[in-house]
This record gives sequence, C-alpha cells and structure tokens, in this order.
Amino acid sequence: MAGDADKGSTTSTGSTKDEVTIGFPGIPSGFDPFTVSGHGSFVPLLYSTLVALDKDVNVVPDLATGYSVSDDALTYTFTLRTDAVFSDGEPVKVSDAVFTFEKIMSGASEIDLAVVDSVFESDGQLVIKLKRPRSTFILDVAGIGIAPEHAYGEDFSLHPIGSGPYVLEQYDVGQQMILMANNLYYGAAPAIKRAVFVNMTDEDQQLIAVKSGQVDITLTSATIAAANTVPGYRLVVEETVDNMGITMPVIPAGSMASDSGNPMGNDVTCDIAVRKAVAYAIDRERLCREALNGYGTPAYSENDGMPWWNPESVIETDVAFARELLDSSGWVDADGDGIREKNGQKASFPVYYFAGDSARQALAMSAANQVLENIGVEMVVQGAGEGDMVAMMVAWPVVLAWGSSNPITSYYLFHSASIGRDDWYDPESFGDAAVDAYLDAALGANSMEEAIPYWQKAQWDGTTGTSMRGECPYIFLANKDHLYYAREGLDIGDQMIHAHGAGWTLVANLKEWRWEN
Amino acid sequence: MGKLKSWGIRGGVSLGKLKSWGIYIGRGVALLFAVSALSFALASASPINPETRYRLSHPGVSQENVTKMREYWGIDEPPVGRYLGWLGGLVRGEWGMSTTYRRPVLDVIGERFSASFALMATAWVLSGLTGFAMGCVMAAARDRWPDRILRRICLFLCSVPTFWIGLVLLAVFSANLGWFPFGLAVPPGVRAESVTLAQRIHHLALPALTLSCLSFANLALHVREKLVDVYQSDYVLYARARGECGAQILFGHGIRNALVPAIIMQFGSVSELFGGSVFAESVFSYPGLGSALAKAGMDASDIPLFLGIVMISAVFIFAGNLTANILTQVIDPRTKGVG
Repeated sequence: MAGDADKGSTTSTGSTKDEVTIGFPGIPSGFDPFTVSGHGSFVPLLYSTLVALDKDVNVVPDLATGYSVSDDALTYTFTLRTDAVFSDGEPVKVSDAVFTFEKIMSGASEIDLAVVDSVFESDGQLVIKLKRPRSTFILDVAGIGIAPEHAYGEDFSLHPIGSGPYVLEQYDVGQQMILMANNLYYGAAPAIKRAVFVNMTDEDQQLIAVKSGQVDITLTSATIAAANTVPGYRLVVEETVDNMGITMPVIPAGSMASDSGNPMGNDVTCDIAVRKAVAYAIDRERLCREALNGYGTPAYSENDGMPWWNPESVIETDVAFARELLDSSGWVDADGDGIREKNGQKASFPVYYFAGDSARQALAMSAANQVLENIGVEMVVQGAGEGDMVAMMVAWPVVLAWGSSNPITSYYLFHSASIGRDDWYDPESFGDAAVDAYLDAALGANSMEEAIPYWQKAQWDGTTGTSMRGECPYIFLANKDHLYYAREGLDIGDQMIHAHGAGWTLVANLKEWRWEN
Repeated sequence: MGKLKSWGIRGGVSLGKLKSWGIYIGRGVALLFAVSALSFALASASPINPETRYRLSHPGVSQENVTKMREYWGIDEPPVGRYLGWLGGLVRGEWGMSTTYRRPVLDVIGERFSASFALMATAWVLSGLTGFAMGCVMAAARDRWPDRILRRICLFLCSVPTFWIGLVLLAVFSANLGWFPFGLAVPPGVRAESVTLAQRIHHLALPALTLSCLSFANLALHVREKLVDVYQSDYVLYARARGECGAQILFGHGIRNALVPAIIMQFGSVSELFGGSVFAESVFSYPGLGSALAKAGMDASDIPLFLGIVMISAVFIFAGNLTANILTQVIDPRTKGVG
C-alpha cells in the first residue's frame, strides 16, 4: 500500500527483480578507501582488494591472482591480474597498488601499516617488505581497497572510482546511497544490479519500514523480532562472533594509574577465585533465553568459532565448583545477608554498561541475578555515559562487545603492552608472561597457519591462558545473533560469520545476493 | 497598517535608532564570541576525543599511526593556540575540514542547511498559524468543552518529547495508513534529477508536523491566556455594552492585543526549533543540520563540524530574538527604549 505513495520506490521494491532496497544503519560520510579498513566497510563493494576472505575466513585471490611470501616472512610478492579496470575504464596497474599502500603509509589514513617497510614494483609484480614478520598482515591486505593513482584527488571521497563489483550511482548525504553493478567488473556479474541503501538507525523506524513494505531487508533487534512477525518477510538469524562480556580488573585498587591518570584496579575482582566463580556460576543458555529472547549463543572467548579459536576455552556451568572456589579462598557469608565477604570487604561491585544499550543492560542484569542467587556475589548493574566509562573501566567491571575477523584483536585485548593505555583494550590490566610469549609468537609467526597454535595456546595451554578456564580476566557471556527482516524470495547468499557490527557484514557479499523466482 | 508603516519610516534614520542598532550589533558579536569560546572549551574538555574514537574502532593501532592521526586532527597544539587559529579562520570564512566527511565544514553545512531551513521554516509557520488560531478558539470558547479538550491536548503535547511524537506519527501515518514515507527527504532509489517538488513536500510533511508540535501548543496556551485577560477587561465590557458581537470583539480588540506577545514568542522559539530538529531529523533520517550535529557530536567527535553548526545555530537564534525585539518596537511603540 505504502509503496503507492512513492511511485519512484515501487519499482525498486516490487516488480523488478534485480534491485534491492536495504534499510541500513550508518550510511558512510564518504567513500575514500583510505579512511576505513577491513571488512566492516564499503571497500569490498566499491573496490577490489589484492586478496579477499571467503565465508570460512580463508584468504582467496582477488585482484592478485596469487602471492608468495619469502622464507623469512618479510617479503610479500603479489602477481596482479591484467584484466582489471577501474570504473572509468583505465586499467588497474601495479603502480596503483603501490600508490595505495604508500598513501596509507604516509599518514592521514586510519589504516595502520606501521609494520610495512617499503612497497615497490618489480618485474611487473607488487613487492611489499615488512620490518618484522606479521602473521596477520595478509588480513590487513584483504581490507585495503586499491585506489586509482590517476583519479585520486580532492573530491574523490564523494566520487569514488574503484574496480569492485559495484559503483556509486548516487549519494545523498545522511539519507541514502545507491550502488549499481559495475559493467567493467572482472568477476562474475552480480545478480543484483542496483542496491539502494537507506539510512535507518532506529529499530522502530526499521520495523515501520518493513511493515509498510518500503524496504526489502533491514536490521532488527531481539526484542522487536520476538514480538513481531511481518507478513511477506522472513526473519534472518545470523550467528556471530559479536560477543558481549564483562571485563574484570585483575590488579588491586590503587596499585597504578592509567596514562591519563585514572586510578586502576579493583579489590574484589583482583581475586581470581571471584572471577572464576562468577564465570562458572552463569548458565549462558539461560542468559540467551532471558536477555536476548533466544537470539544468541553462549560465548566463551572473543573469537568463538574462528579458525584461531581454542575450543577448550568452553566451560560448563558448575555452581558447586564456583561455591567451593569462594569458600576455600575465604569469601564466606558470615553476616547472613546473602552476600559473601572477606576481611570486611563485601563481594559486591558495580558493572557499568553504555547507558541506552538495552541488550548489554539486559545481559548484565540477567547475569547479575544468577550470580547473586547461585554464589552470593553482588553485581550492581549501572548505566554510564561513554566519557565516564573511559575513566571508570580501568577500576570497575564494564560490559564490552568485541568480535573481529582478525586475531590481532586478541593481542591487544590481552597483551601486557595494552595495560593502562587509554583505549578500549585490556581495561582489566591483564598481563601474563606466558600469555605475552604466545601472543608475540602468534603475531610474529611467518604465516596465519603457523600462528594459529599460538593464538590458541594464549587462550588455554593446559595450565593457563586468557580464557575463563585460565586467568579469567574477562567473563564472556553471549554472542549476539544479528537479526534481519528480509522480504520473501530474497536470497542473501552464504554469509561469513558476522563480526561486531551488523550492517557491513551483511552486505559484504552483496554480489552473491539474488531474487528467487 | 498604514500607521505601522509610518512608525517604521519615521524611526528609520534617527540618531537614537543608529545607537540602538550599534548596541544590537555589539551584543551579537559579544554573544557569538562567548558561544565560540564556551563551546570550544567544552569540546576540548570532552573525555571522548577523536583519538579515543579512533582507538575504539581500530583494533591493533600502532603508536606511530596514532601520532600521524593526531597531526591530522591537530590535537597536539595547546588549546588556546588552537582556539585562536580556529577563531581567525572563522572570521576569514575558513571553518576548517570536517574530519568525518573530509570536506570543508562550510560545504557540509551549506548542503545540510537548505534541508533544515525548509523543515524549520515550514514547522515555524505551521506552528505559528495553528498555535495562534487554536489560542483564539480556546479563548472564544473559554471554559466550555472545546476549550477544555484543546487545552488538554496542548498540555499533553507540551509534556511529551519530540522524538516520541515523531514515532507515533510514523506508526500511524506511515506503517498503518501508508500515507507518508518512513523518512528521508527524497524517495529512496530515485535519481536526484528526477525527484519532484511534490515528492519533497511529501517527505517533508511528517518531520515538519513533528517539529511544529514542539512549539504550537505552548503558543496556543499563551494566546489563550492573553485573550482571556482581554475578555475580562473593562473596555471589552464596554464594547459589549455598546452591542459588539463575539467576532467584532475578537478581531477588534482580542487579536490586536494578543498579536504582539504571540509574535515575540514565535520568534523566541527559534532556539527550541533548532533543539527539536536534532530529534525530529534523527527519527526521520532527515538530512539536516540537526542530524549532522548529533552525528558530529556523539558518534564521530567531528569537532570542526560540531563547532561550525553550533556557531550557525547561534547566529540564527540571535537573529530570531533580535527580530522579536525589533518587531515589538515597531508594532508597539510604547516598548521603545526598553530592553
């Protein structure tokens, strides 16, 4: 019905079957490939990358037909395909790749290539020399869109030229972007010829847009999805590594201050018995049912299910074990108020979440209920503004969310080098010599394959690690499913396991989408 | 009306008039200076700066790259130097580069301004007319049922937040009835050159209605109060005694007396309009200054754009209040030299 109101949009949502209208959170502010990195962006749509990631996170050829790595893992040599052209008709040359990498290295880019020593063309091939081996480097490469040297200039951000499967047809700042299939694309021609991305961040607005049939697919939330079936649409549930958990400071209060002078440490959570007891006292299946309406899976690490994940990080809920841990380390409820104490210190601490994030709030509250009931530890769940959060998280537990298709996230989350830095990594101040050694070995390994055992050992090596089985600096709770309403008949292909952020991960494989007849 | 005009002409060139213009301009400059200093200080003191943002969204960033980005954002300079540099640029018309759009701030503002201006102007006129008319109706029917119902509606609208009104309008007129689109300023998927004026108005309707709800109830209640005072005055009693009917009293005495406070209120509400547009534009994904301000301030820490929009808003709010002042004096010469 509502489609009639806009004659223009009926064609895109109804009759023609090679167009799609997507309700999308966060239309970008420009399309300069140097301003963004990785798969959480428009890069795979508008640009080609030297290599790409398939749905199982394997590195596959894209613009490069192949690449080789020297034995010392310091020299990467890429052979580029010769049939690739930019959307303005100019061929993609090795010099464009050199230009792209040098532009990023020269700064004013948000992509970090500090590990790269030099980039140059040799015998028609692209050579990248590193300062030190970096096992994740190829993943960084997979996120870098190659820009045309001849066309890069002042207004490139709004008039991008790439060699990817789509080109930008129109961009209305803050409202919509329209992509159309790139006729000059070297890969298979996409079935979806035109994609309209409509800016839509509010979950109520998203529901209204599908109820009135104005978009073909849009994000939704667990609360909305549980309460609303929309005729003509199916609910798409994508599993993710988009995990939420509670950070637990591991050092005692007052031991040090962060770079910006905030006091660090917490006298309750610095006791490993408390941390592990909380971790084992929580029934995560119940958590997913109660707080996420069933749209989530238990989380045991920052990277469940990824190739570098250690499956041994999974723990069973064991309330008896949790109680025993607390009893034997002197946390007992002597005054009978339901909350344990030790040396006059109550087993009670606040847990902060971003005020307004209802999923994180619900999850933390549900966890807090279980922990209080099961083991007599009190978690007082409180909302906080982002600024306060930055100041408080080095001293108090906070609810954070991670989930990345690059294992380097683990390095920054748990390496001792992150302690006290003013960022979102390692607010627990966790640092352990054995874990550092594994993480250094993983990052400095010669390849992704060689690195995997080290990434896994950093989580759990049989005696220690960053997982809840080990030192337990982080109570992982749940991986939040990404939910979408999709019009019946819209096939969104095989999706890669979703990282944090539900928008770009959905459309990364837009070229594989199609309408069923 | 002829009388009004002659006042304007007579006062236009006098020395006193020039002096009061000087005072207005002086006040305006002082206000803008204060707003610039205060908002710059607040933005600088915010614990969330571009660097924390950058670290948050870029896992594995090296110190080398942070240093490069700090140079790009220009946050290593001392704050006073940065402020003076920015202020100098402001005067020269170089408002800096938006860090999210990577384009000059004035370009971004210019684009957003036209959309916002259409929205705010429509809402402003709409709320002015409906508010004034509703106030007259309430006063004419004071203490009878139309007055009671309308007054409750007005009080209700005064107390609910703008974004909630927006969501209700969306649920009713977009989701259920399908009369209006769910948002944006143009229909999705249509090429810019083929968007018609009718389509633009169609997309403008709900956001403008939402925004007008912000101030028309307030205006209506004030007009009603003023008119009720008039109705209880001796000269209205005298007019009735002379045999004037309801309409004659309303148009001859009521509206004349209620118009001045209504105009002052309506121009004074420009500040609320700017505030409300942040919410209205966000609910409807309407691409104006308000949504740009929310994005620049909350998500992106785009300080140059944020400050630019603050300054533009300050200019408009000042202009609104100034117009209210001048109009008051033009319409009612008794207030000359006051304020």
